Amino acid sequence: MKGLKPTVLGAFLGILALGSLASSGLTGQPAPDFALKSATGKNLRLSEYRGEVVMINFWATWCGPCQQEMPLLEELHTRYQRVGFRLLGVNIDDDSRRALQMVDDLGVSFPVLFDETKAVSKLYQVEAMPVTVILDRAGTVRYVHHGYKPGYEELYLTEVRSLLRE
Amino acid sequence: MTAIRNRMLTNAAAIAVAWLAGMLVASAQSSAILDQDAVVANTVAGEAAAAQSAGKFRSLDEDVQSLKKEVLDLNRDLFLLEEELLFPANSQVAFFISMDVGEYFELDSVSLQIDGKEVANYLYTEREAGALLRGGVHRVHMGNLKVGDHELIAVFTGEGPHVRDYRRGATMTFNKGIGAKYVEMEISDRAAKQQPEFIIREWE
Repeated sequence: MKGLKPTVLGAFLGILALGSLASSGLTGQPAPDFALKSATGKNLRLSEYRGEVVMINFWATWCGPCQQEMPLLEELHTRYQRVGFRLLGVNIDDDSRRALQMVDDLGVSFPVLFDETKAVSKLYQVEAMPVTVILDRAGTVRYVHHGYKPGYEELYLTEVRSLLRE
Repeated sequence: MTAIRNRMLTNAAAIAVAWLAGMLVASAQSSAILDQDAVVANTVAGEAAAAQSAGKFRSLDEDVQSLKKEVLDLNRDLFLLEEELLFPANSQVAFFISMDVGEYFELDSVSLQIDGKEVANYLYTEREAGALLRGGVHRVHMGNLKVGDHELIAVFTGEGPHVRDYRRGATMTFNKGIGAKYVEMEISDRAAKQQPEFIIREWE
């Protein structure tokens, strides 16, 4: 009985970790290409960022962890943009106006794209929010993170830095 | 007697010195020859090694080039096979967009409907629109259609004259016969009306 409690706890934490940090079936595959309208009114296409390390963050205004994560992503974008890193935020709200307001309130400067039809989020197997996908310079999916907990940003930092060094 | 002895001693010394000098020269010469031989041997070995490694690199380079050619040939064959299987020539139809505008229209997106069903919806980035302006032609949709009449509706969205949002449709009925059909939708300036015009034409 003594040894059972730590084992169960360990297994539970392992399952949580797997659930939150699990790679999807996309890992190792070329990232599905897409074009979406951005908050500035311009259309942006993923394949035009080939040659740079790209992070795609799927988020929604009703998602609390997304709001928590966004300022940390903004820091990542500001720090590494000039060395070949691009961060694209893909909002999946039905109405993009709320998303625009939230982007303004949080002072986000990275491009925010609107996937109102959810076509792109289906391509990336997005089921829960947020989902963060990191691509290498060749456009291959290298890391996928489902959800956000404080501390994940350290992992993002390590992964982005390792891809920038490749 | 002493003089003879002295002379003999002097001659012997001279002979000894000469003999010693001769030995020294001979040994220097032989070591020089040995050194030269060693240098030659080293040089020959070095050249052989260099030639061998150059040979290895050349053969590796040839292998890489040959592999690259095989990959390109395979890619080409797969592309042609895919087209033949997915879009056989007797039912193939393709739609292209081209632009010949300067002032009156900045393209944002195009959507195509064939016989009332949406088949394509393409968002153009700044780079892609620029490529069209520079003479590029974009194949926006390729599909299969049965022989007979079909209706095409193309809706163009963008920024029109006076920086205003612009949305315009163009429609055409075309006949799909035996053989592939290619339809071009061209956006061009119409200076007389200060408006863009949208022309749909079939390639012969």
